[in-house]
Amino acid sequence: MPQIITEQNLRNLIDLLVKEAKLVVGPKLSGSVVLYEPLTAGADLTLDALPRRSSKELFFPICEDILSYKRENGAMKVKDVDRSKFPEAVLIGAPPCDAGSPAILDAVMSWDYKDEFYLERRRKSTIVGIACTKGDDACFCRAVGLAPDAEAGSDLFLTPLKDGSYACNAVTEKGQALVAAHQNLFAEGAGAEPKPFVDQAVAKLDLVKIKKWLEEHFENPLWEKIADICVGCGACAFICPACHCFDINDEGSTDDGVRRKHWDACGFAKFTNHASGHNPRDVQNKRYRNRIMHKFKYYDDKFGKTLCTGCGRCIRACPVGIDIAEILETINTKQD
Amino acid sequence: MNAKANKNHVTSIEPAYYQAITEAIRKEAAKILKDETVVGVVGYLPGRRKGTASPALVTTVEEAEKLIFSPACVNNLSVYLTKAKKGVLKQGKVGIVAKGCDMRALAGLMTESQLQREDLFIIGVVCPGVYGFGVERTGTLTDANIARKCRECTVHMPEGADVAAGTHTELADLTPEEAQELARIEAMPQAERWAFWKEHFSRCIRCMACRQVCPFCYCEQCLCDKNRPQAVENSPRPAGNMAWHLVRAMHLAGRCGGCAECERVCPMDIPLNLLNRRMAQELKELYDFEAGLTPVDKGPLNEYKENDDQSFIK
Repeated sequence: MPQIITEQNLRNLIDLLVKEAKLVVGPKLSGSVVLYEPLTAGADLTLDALPRRSSKELFFPICEDILSYKRENGAMKVKDVDRSKFPEAVLIGAPPCDAGSPAILDAVMSWDYKDEFYLERRRKSTIVGIACTKGDDACFCRAVGLAPDAEAGSDLFLTPLKDGSYACNAVTEKGQALVAAHQNLFAEGAGAEPKPFVDQAVAKLDLVKIKKWLEEHFENPLWEKIADICVGCGACAFICPACHCFDINDEGSTDDGVRRKHWDACGFAKFTNHASGHNPRDVQNKRYRNRIMHKFKYYDDKFGKTLCTGCGRCIRACPVGIDIAEILETINTKQD
Repeated sequence: MNAKANKNHVTSIEPAYYQAITEAIRKEAAKILKDETVVGVVGYLPGRRKGTASPALVTTVEEAEKLIFSPACVNNLSVYLTKAKKGVLKQGKVGIVAKGCDMRALAGLMTESQLQREDLFIIGVVCPGVYGFGVERTGTLTDANIARKCRECTVHMPEGADVAAGTHTELADLTPEEAQELARIEAMPQAERWAFWKEHFSRCIRCMACRQVCPFCYCEQCLCDKNRPQAVENSPRPAGNMAWHLVRAMHLAGRCGGCAECERVCPMDIPLNLLNRRMAQELKELYDFEAGLTPVDKGPLNEYKENDDQSFIK
């Protein structure tokens, strides 16, 4: 039976979850930007803009301690982070281009090495995704096989209706449990008409064809043409829902410090810089090529998925206007 | 109000104005490529999305005829002439499209011996302003969509360029929002001011876009990338973020050309140009130095004068 939740009850649900000592994360105004931040009340939830950073940081924080060390009486003592203390979390209000990212990233995080920091947070989180009725000319989720109403990654999926309420679909057991535990906030029924989705400028891409082209054109003048202007910052990778590279740094002194894991980006020159000084990706277009290769070939090779949700953040944020959708369209139409 | 006082002051800059500049740039770029004055021209090409533009290095007459100038041409292209980013200068003389604010960067880079004037052919743009971030990109520039830095522009005329495209026109009655914001922050009690920056820097993700677009951040080894030993925490945490931005502001003092690219590209909307402006103010007061369109022998912090203000030495 379909269920409905009113906007007020959605906010009430947040209030209740906060009372239950859950970490509730959702789009919230932070200074002049909307970010996924811990909500302290339902009233904090802001659903009118795509947050500047993706929701990946709930599972893969921008920076986290992974151990600490201290020299005591001449011996080095290492202390692990107690991951059992990670809170139960609910992510609310993530559109498909964000809610869908864990469904892509779980594969790499639980592959040869199990990233227990990521996985523990994943186990303890419930994702309430929301169909997207916004969008601008940078959006291209449909082009990469998602859609404004794609449920992938969501445990509970909300569809905004014309009367301001939301149709709910419990996609997973976690989603069902969330509804069951707060049944009084949900009503049965089909509800009003859904709000319409926004048209997207980028047509559906042939990802198989793109992958094949990438396989055959590791060396190609296209890379210089599109990426010589790249200035080598990490903006695209950091705000991307799917980019997941990180660096590890020991910070503190030789006697007392913390080992930290934090976001890294293949656009940085030092990303592949060897200790010897040799850098296999010695110029910027090779670094940018890696970004495209990783998203549309390597990740697919290994995990059968595309490492891009079409959120368009990198397009909006690129300091020099590099447009990944345009690049994919270019490759998509290549005949050779 | 006083819009009529100056015939150059208008309420909107129409697409035709930018189109005329576009034509002039195309003509000039094609000419200097054709007669082999330059090996390439750094300019702007239109983006896929309506009202966007992207930097480009064009090397043929055909490509030169696609160059544009529009309110979307926000980038300071001088960044492509320094650092390991681009080897364009190694190939020969280069043409570059430059707005007044970009020309201050070129002048600064010449002061610092990073560029030689004779290696450049500067196609100056008489720029009435460009878009701010996240504004409506209609093709027409108005009070509603002009970038904050352009509201107080003093370098509409690209003096010192080899050629200049456009005729002097600017928007009338622009409120100096950045100066007002600077004054507001300056008037805060210190603790409040500290809190203001702390909050902004807490959102910094250390994507380094501010550094990467800065024409003056050309150090081959950035202090903030060092990890053996670490000078500034590499990880994106409040203390290291604060240190990074303060180090950067200090390192740019007396050098920054005020193009505000760092602020424009910040994905977290940190108002970085306020720091640059504050430092510029300091340099003006202490050394009577202002970043200008003409290279000088030495930057204010690179030389010692007997009569330098020393009151800050306590």
